[in-house]
This record gives sequence, structure tokens and C-alpha cells, in this order.
Amino acid sequence: MQMKISTNYLRFSLLHRFCHFLIIISFFGLVLTGMPLAFRNYDWARWLYELFGGYPTAGFIHRICALITFFAAFIHFIFLFYNVSVQKKKGFFWGPNSLLIQPRDVFDIIGDLKWFLGIGKRPDFDRWIYWEKFEYLSLMWGTLVMALTGLILWFPVQFTKIIPVSVAGIIDLPSIALIIHRYEAILAAGFIFTIHFFHTHLLPEKMPVDEAIFTGKITEEEFKHERLGQFKRLENQRLLENYKVAPPSLFVSFITRLFAVPILITGLIMVGFMFSALIVWAI
Amino acid sequence: MVYKLKESLVLRVLSGLGDFKWFAHFIISVVVVSLSPAVLTAGDNGPCIECHTKPDKLKTAEKAKIDPVTGEIRVVSMLIDEGTFKASAHGGEDFFCTDCHQDLEGADLSEGHKPNLKPVDCITFCHDDPAEDYLQSSHVKLMKENNRDVPTCKDCHAGLTYHYTPMGEKSPRDVPRGTDPVHRRLTIESCGTCHQEYLSSYRNNAHGQVASLGYTTIDIPVCFDCHGKHKILNSEDPESKVGKERILETCGNCHANANASFVKHIEHPQIKNIKYYKKLLTALKNARSNPEDLKNLIKSPQTILCLVFVAYMGILAFTFSSFGVHSLLCWFATVRDEYKRKGHADEDQH
Repeated sequence: MQMKISTNYLRFSLLHRFCHFLIIISFFGLVLTGMPLAFRNYDWARWLYELFGGYPTAGFIHRICALITFFAAFIHFIFLFYNVSVQKKKGFFWGPNSLLIQPRDVFDIIGDLKWFLGIGKRPDFDRWIYWEKFEYLSLMWGTLVMALTGLILWFPVQFTKIIPVSVAGIIDLPSIALIIHRYEAILAAGFIFTIHFFHTHLLPEKMPVDEAIFTGKITEEEFKHERLGQFKRLENQRLLENYKVAPPSLFVSFITRLFAVPILITGLIMVGFMFSALIVWAI
Repeated sequence: MVYKLKESLVLRVLSGLGDFKWFAHFIISVVVVSLSPAVLTAGDNGPCIECHTKPDKLKTAEKAKIDPVTGEIRVVSMLIDEGTFKASAHGGEDFFCTDCHQDLEGADLSEGHKPNLKPVDCITFCHDDPAEDYLQSSHVKLMKENNRDVPTCKDCHAGLTYHYTPMGEKSPRDVPRGTDPVHRRLTIESCGTCHQEYLSSYRNNAHGQVASLGYTTIDIPVCFDCHGKHKILNSEDPESKVGKERILETCGNCHANANASFVKHIEHPQIKNIKYYKKLLTALKNARSNPEDLKNLIKSPQTILCLVFVAYMGILAFTFSSFGVHSLLCWFATVRDEYKRKGHADEDQH
């Protein structure tokens, strides 16, 4: 029997993969040093905080990771700015390559719900599936909220200086920032470690990780299964050839798994801790 | 004297060894002076430590004591942990046992000192200032007005130590320093035994959440850093450390350049206090008959914090329930398709 070597296509550019890598590193650093404060009454939180050096070391790690997040966001917006304003590329705000919500997504959602219930076929998604768009947009929104509230908590004296005394008696900026920062963090960590993981990495066909975001490459079978709309579109436009690449080497695949699987497990353990705290609190 | 005899005996043996006579004299006199149990003089802890660190040298290692105020009977150890004593606020170079146990000065130790000493008077000669401050504090004033038992020095200071006697009781003898992290952590719990609501709201704050993880170095403010130690006054009182006139200075101790807006910070957020929500609801219910109540509550920064908290609880619940269901459905649909595909593949093979 002969093994059929499938054609591979490039799905993520090096820049996007690098940004995802930066976000993984900084996000885990932030969650592991920040979550103990939100779950301060539990022994695992104390253990985890001590593991990262306790006060004030864990706080320094938290701030360094925040700076890495800022750096990743900076790269992303430079990329957007360069493509839109300098190179005058189109399709960033509208069309199949855009990450913004469009009428098409409404039909995709309806089609997907039909598929869930077994009434219809899986919709032919284009480059970005609606939940991927949602994840991207919530990452943008979440980063903005976390960065702003985090900076307020980092420099409380400087930020309160902006606020007049009479308003400060009603709107207590650092306290509001702390509450938003804490619960937005629980929202973000909970979302990434459950919804994002289960939608992309832990699907039965992808288990344990979707390597595309690390190697950048996707096989033809996966491409057709996941995003038939995009595949057909590129085929019709005769652009498909431009995306053809050599399959990832075994070494790259191995390194990807070596890096991604422990991180994935760490995230699942974290969400387990957080969920158990919810149960303890409910009881 | 017994020691004189011993000295000459040993001296005779040593002098036989040759020219080390002067050296032997020196060694022996040092040994004899340090062992001599004659009379206790001020300025020397040696004779006390000599016996009070070894249970077999004491007539009684533990004593039952009746508290003159509460009438409680406690077992108190007579043993001293030298390391703990040295590390305590009273463990400095120029502190001596007889400074506090004054009735022991000049006592004859050849038969052991008298068994029952006078209670130590902390206030008269040394700590008169904190005692006076304390008498002016809200603790004393308010509680006297309300006919309640005023906390005594011991209510706060005893039992705050980390030196345990053999019976497992805490000994009030080792006075810890205000900079000691363990002591600082324990003070939070001491204040919290009475001020429970303030303790739990403190734990929701930026300062308290770090303290809750067990970090209470001087970088992390505990109750007394903001409220003071002995002269704790109501925050309405202008002289209070958290009152209008002094709060800039208090916050400024850690936050350089603290400004007037910064010090409006809510250190005790009520976001998890069900009583505050009940108060809000009753104010809403009586909005027509008593609009002032509701106005005041809306103007309070606490209300905004509570609304933000409730909003986030809603966002969390909605996001996880909707996307949780979505993920599960997506998962099951994928498995179902896979199963169908495999089924067809099997049919094709047949």
C-alpha cells in the first residue's frame, strides 16, 4: 500500500504565527501569575503564586508579560496599518478575508445550527468562520480592556490625577479597574481554556492540537473539510496555486506538539482549578 | 565555697603541666564567673537564661495562672526560647529580664528565686504613650458609651506571638515587631475577629488580595498601617489617620505624590456583601416615599462598584452558557459526521 502525500496550503503567515506565539507566552504568564489573586482563598492559588516567586516577583512577571502582550498588539496594528494605508490592500474591512462581522456570518450561524441539529450539511465556510471572528474581536476588545485597567492599577496615582476631586468621590477609578480587570481576566482565561481550546484544538479531528497555527500549513483534506467555501473561491479565482507549500517536516510537527501539548494541559488544569472553585463556592 | 575548692584542685593539676599557669588562671576564672549563681544583678540575662531554657533546672516548668480581669485559667510555660526572645521587640542589646521583672533585682539565686512574681507593669515606666493614645481611641470611647467591655491591652497583644509553650499555648512574653510579616498577618486576623465585614471587604481589595495569599511584608498594608495602632479613630474624625486631614499623609507613606482624587479610593468594596444589595433594593422600593435614601446610595461609589460586579457576573454567565452549549453541539456534530463517514466507508468495503 502506498501512502498518499497530500498537498499542503499556507494558512497563516510567519508574522501571524509569531504573534500567536507571543500571545501564548504572555497570556499564560499573565494567567498563572494573576489568577492566584482572583482565587486567593484556595490553597492551589497560594502554591501557584509561590511557584512564581510570590510577592513582588510574580507581580514583576505579570507586568513583563503585559509588556509582551502590548508588543504583540503593536506588531498587529503596525501590520494592519502598513497593509491598509501604505500598500493600499483591500479586503481588510469587508469581504471574505476580513475578520469583521458581515451579513454572510448570519447565514453561516443559521447553517451551522442546522448542522448541529442534523437538519443540514456543514456550511461551506470561507477563510474565517464566525466563531473565529468572534474570538479575534473579543481578543482585541479584551486586550484593550485589560491593558487600560491594568495600567490604571499599575499607575493609580498618575491616573487619578486626571479625575477631578468631586468626580473621584463617585467614580473610584482604581477600584472599578480592579473589579473589571479581575472578572475580565476570568472571562478571558475561561474562554480561551474552554471555548477556544474545544473549538480549534480539541475537536475530534484535531486532537490534541491544530498544528496550522504553529506550522502555518494545512493539508488539502483539512482545507476542504474546514473551509470549503474558501477552497472553491480560490480555485475559481485560480489563486490556489499561490498557497501551495511543502508539507511540514516531521521535526517541525514534533516540536509543535512538544511545545503546544504541555501548554494545552496547563490551560486545562487551570480551568479545572477555576471551575472547582466555582463548585466549592456554590456548595 | 565549693567553687574555690574546685578551682584550686584544678589549678594544681594544670600548674603541673608547666608554664600555662597564667592561662589556666584566666580560663578558670571565666568559667567560675559564668557559673556562679550567687546574686542576680541588673544588666545580665545570663543567669536567667541558664535555667529558663532547660526544663530540668526549673522547679516548675509550667504554671497555672488566673487572669485577674477575666478569671480565665491558663497554663503558662516558664521556658524561654532564647532565639525568639532575641528576635522580639524586647530582645535588643540593652534589654534585661530585670527591667520588666523588677522585683527580681538583687534576688538571691542560690536557692532559686521566689516562685510568684508581680505582674509586669508595661505602662507606668515604658509604654505610657500608647496607653494614653489608646484611652482616647474610638475603641474605648464608643464602647464605654455603649456600655460594652472595652478591649484591654492583652486582647490585642497577647496571643499575637508565634512562640508556643510546651502546652501549645501562645505565650505573651515574646513581643513581635510591627515589621514582622508573620505578626502583621496575625494582626489582620485579630482585628477581623470583631470586624468581620471589614476583613472580608478588605480581602476583595487590591491590598487585601495579596495579604490573603499570605504576603504581609511592610509593602502590603494591613489594618493598622492605615487605621493606626493605638489611637484608632472613626474615619469621620478629622484627627483619624483615614480622616480628611491626615489621609493624604497616610496614603502618601506608600504612594508617593498621592493626590486628593487618589485618596477617595474605596478600600472596603461592598461588591460581595449581600446586605448592601438588600439596602439598595429597599431604597429602590421606597424611592417614592423616601427619595433621599436612593439619591445618597446612587451617589456612593460603592453602588457603581456593585453594578460593575453584577454586570460582569451576567456577562460571565451568558458567555459561558451560550458558548459552552455551542462548543458541545459542535463537538457532537463533528463526532456524528465522523461516525457516519466511517459507516459509509464500511459499506463501501462490503
